Amino acid sequence: MPKPRTTVVMRALATTISAALLLSACGAGSRTSSSTAAQVECDFPAPSKATSVNVLAYNSSAIDPFTNTMVKSCSKNQVTVKHEPIDFGGQVQKTTATLAGDTGTYDVIETYGFIIPKYAGEQKLRPLDEFVAEFDQEYGLSDINKAMRQAMSYDGKLYGLPMQAQMYVMAYRKDVFESLGLKPPTTFAELREVAGKIQQAGQIKYPVALPLLASSDIATAYDSALGSLGVDYVDAATMTPNFDKPEAAEAFEELRSLAPFMDPQVTTFDQPRVQQQMYNGSAAVAIMFSGRMNDLTQTSNSRFAQQFAFAPPPSVAGGDVLYNTLSVDGWSIPTNAAADPKMLFEMIASSVSADASKASVPAAYPARDGIVTPGSSPYAEAAQVSIGKAPPAEPHPWTSRISNDTRTVVADVVLGNTPVAEGTAQMQQIAVKILAEYEK
Amino acid sequence: MRRREFLGLIAPSVLVMGALLVLPLYRTVEWSLQRVNYGEAGTFVGLDNYSAALSDPRLGRAVLFTVGLTAVVVATLIVGGYLLAVMVNGLGRSKPFVLGFLLISYVVPNIVGATMFSWLFDANFGGVVNHLVSAVTGHEVLWFIEPWPNRLVIALDTIWFMLPFSMLVIIAGLQGVPSEVIEASRIDGASTFRTHWSVIIPSIRGVLGFVAIISIMDVLRTFDQLVPLSPQATQIGNESIMLYIYNVAFQDGGQQLGLGSAINVLLILLIVILLYPFIRGIAKEARQA
Amino acid sequence: MTTLEKQGPALAPSRSDGAPPSARRRPRRSASTYLVGGVLVLVCWAMVSPVLWTAMAVTKPTDVAFLNPPVFTYEPTMTAFVDLWQTTLFADYLVNTLVVAVLSTVVALVIGLPAAYALSRFPSWVSAVLLVLALVFRALPRFAVVLPMYDISRALGVYDTTFAVAAALVAINQPFTIWLLRNFFAEIPKELDEAAMLDGCGRLATLRRVMIPMMGPGILTAGIFVFLFAFQEYLTANILTDVSARTVPVFIATQLGQTLPMLQQAGAAAMLLTLPVVAFAFIAQRYLVAGLNNGSVKG
Repeated sequence: MPKPRTTVVMRALATTISAALLLSACGAGSRTSSSTAAQVECDFPAPSKATSVNVLAYNSSAIDPFTNTMVKSCSKNQVTVKHEPIDFGGQVQKTTATLAGDTGTYDVIETYGFIIPKYAGEQKLRPLDEFVAEFDQEYGLSDINKAMRQAMSYDGKLYGLPMQAQMYVMAYRKDVFESLGLKPPTTFAELREVAGKIQQAGQIKYPVALPLLASSDIATAYDSALGSLGVDYVDAATMTPNFDKPEAAEAFEELRSLAPFMDPQVTTFDQPRVQQQMYNGSAAVAIMFSGRMNDLTQTSNSRFAQQFAFAPPPSVAGGDVLYNTLSVDGWSIPTNAAADPKMLFEMIASSVSADASKASVPAAYPARDGIVTPGSSPYAEAAQVSIGKAPPAEPHPWTSRISNDTRTVVADVVLGNTPVAEGTAQMQQIAVKILAEYEK
Repeated sequence: MRRREFLGLIAPSVLVMGALLVLPLYRTVEWSLQRVNYGEAGTFVGLDNYSAALSDPRLGRAVLFTVGLTAVVVATLIVGGYLLAVMVNGLGRSKPFVLGFLLISYVVPNIVGATMFSWLFDANFGGVVNHLVSAVTGHEVLWFIEPWPNRLVIALDTIWFMLPFSMLVIIAGLQGVPSEVIEASRIDGASTFRTHWSVIIPSIRGVLGFVAIISIMDVLRTFDQLVPLSPQATQIGNESIMLYIYNVAFQDGGQQLGLGSAINVLLILLIVILLYPFIRGIAKEARQA
Repeated sequence: MTTLEKQGPALAPSRSDGAPPSARRRPRRSASTYLVGGVLVLVCWAMVSPVLWTAMAVTKPTDVAFLNPPVFTYEPTMTAFVDLWQTTLFADYLVNTLVVAVLSTVVALVIGLPAAYALSRFPSWVSAVLLVLALVFRALPRFAVVLPMYDISRALGVYDTTFAVAAALVAINQPFTIWLLRNFFAEIPKELDEAAMLDGCGRLATLRRVMIPMMGPGILTAGIFVFLFAFQEYLTANILTDVSARTVPVFIATQLGQTLPMLQQAGAAAMLLTLPVVAFAFIAQRYLVAGLNNGSVKG
């Protein structure tokens, strides 16, 4: 048993620790939205009783301005808009969960073009067209880019109100490039050459960083490479998958050809980890979604913030279509949401209003026409080139399922666990099986 | 004690276990025979899920990994816990401090502890252990994608947060060993090692058994620590059975709740088989007590 | 480690009973005392290092927080803590975590105590079955219980409440309390019950007035363990909550895929969660040893 003196010391220690905890709690209670939140008009009529509206949206510097604006501007008239921080993986999981069944937790969810066809096809999202017609004037909805509205539509109906576009942008270290006399690569061959030279210079061992997380991002990477070679997952006219085409194998070979220039643990990198590679100066070239670019330019995040320059991503084999994915992000209302859909629509409309969209620059690339100009942000020019040279979307309900179900095979092939030919054959088989469910 | 009193006293507990454990378990068994999604009625498919589970090589790898991890970690916990307990038990005034420090890793939630642990090894986050290992050995160890280094990190983390419990229980056991017995053995001229091996250890066999059974249960359920420590678990064969179930039934869109449930049932069978010796002992004791 | 095996244990037997050290062996002891001391300092340091390293990472300025190679000297800042409190509902998560832990601990004990008492006093096949069931339930894979609970709680409309999480944790942890407490009761002589009953106490009164006061350390030990299990639980809370009942471990887990500065805030959250439980560890250690020593683990 402890001696009395020891007990006293122990008590003192415990008290000190608790005091430290309480002290740091003094700042609590005053929840302030991030400085990017705009105060905008959000004019829904007050509901008959107190309501809380739960918003599901992952945190990134590009999404946050819209989310924060909604929370800040629409929490009134007995309505509390709630948003809890969550990462992208968490959002994907919660989306599936909340859309299953008759009731869901969330009233507004962040969606993107890739998943719209699947959930719209299952009638889990509410069509927004009648609301768009009703509130077009009030929130200036016709200024939202047509192609982006198209990207959030399925079967002729709009299921997500676009807030912004995200496309791949290449970030690179201009100091490193200048000192070695290099130009931003425009093809994978050039990328290998540039990376090889940086590697030889000896400062940076693994110059290239891509988000290739085996449990998530790697599927998008493969899709981008395939798209740049001019091939879709599926030939929608004949309902046959394209993984038996030579390009399917070529896409793998090209991705694998970058391996010597990437960190050996690159298949554990999601986009935040790729950002970390750039922050730390471990990599000199990174390709990821434009929504992650603004973070790189913040001096509070990295000593190299001033040294980052931006260019469109390269194309895989030199064609017009780049190694790229164009993703439109927007707000959707689940069919099983408890709150009044009209009120919810006014909230999402106000969060993508002209003022809100302007406030989101430079962190985001808003969906409204004419807001982003080449001078909007250090990466705006690159983004504007990139957005016009992305592979076409495949707006079908099977696309996200094929992507999801073939992901482990893609990871195994990229990691070298499965030979390319065997991998593409497996993917073809998986895709044929999924497509069979959609043939009438 | 009369039968009626006995039944009255156990009733609340039996009710809670019935409603909150048996009912969900029944549902799991039911699901394991269905093709089913969350919030939807399932369709009966017989034993299809079981044959799908058993023919998936991923399950075999997951079982192998989980059982291997259990064996290594439990052995280390007992040996390490005993040594540590003996050392700490011999301390004087500093004992409460040392115990307090040693218990820190036990009270921190696994997922939080494992996150902290991953930051020690992750080069991308300036991991200090990784930094030191690279400096000393001169080459970069790939902690997160090479199967064996990753297994080492997982095992170290698991030992890190479970060792204090093992030590604590063994200390309690050591304090129950009568000092006369130890003195007697010493007077007989037994060496320190001999005293431990043939006097102390046999007299705390029950305690060591307790540590073993609790540790086996907990390591078989390994899940939390893999989330931060093994982002590529599936590809490198470091997927535990629980993580496999999670990936199948929850993560990838929840389409395979039936399959996940079937694996759950299989895992329960595995656990019961591994615990069988303990179960027999307890059943015997409870009838006699 | 071989030297350890030989020398380390030399200390324990002579000290474990608190007997004064015999003068004859003093010189040998002091050498091994230093060795043991050195080993223990190293072990303690290794055990604490993940926490220390995180504490450093969250007090570094953001741009060098996760720098590779790491920096060891820096000007400490508390920005991550301030931002955490101001931009997230960390206080709510902390309250949820505590509510769940306290509620489930109390209920598990209130239900578990009478059952454990009954099991220790009524040897029969029913007792044997119950104990074995308690053991198997303790070992159950969480998903086998929690996935159906997810479905059931949504159907009952209690999904995403601290009540649902606490109820799940009562179910999951209660078997362990029975198991632990039964051994405590078994240590108390049956004659005591009989004496109390002769004095006119009923069974419940005997339990309440005689047994429970004697069980102080045992109840405390069981309570501390159940509290810790509930406090640490990630998987159950992750599946049964969305927004209203989020606990701190769940919050931290959903921040792992964030970038700076939020990642640093996740580290700050981990530290804020760790500090009180460290204080708890320092206070709890002596009750745990005393409680376990009272015979709970002999079975």
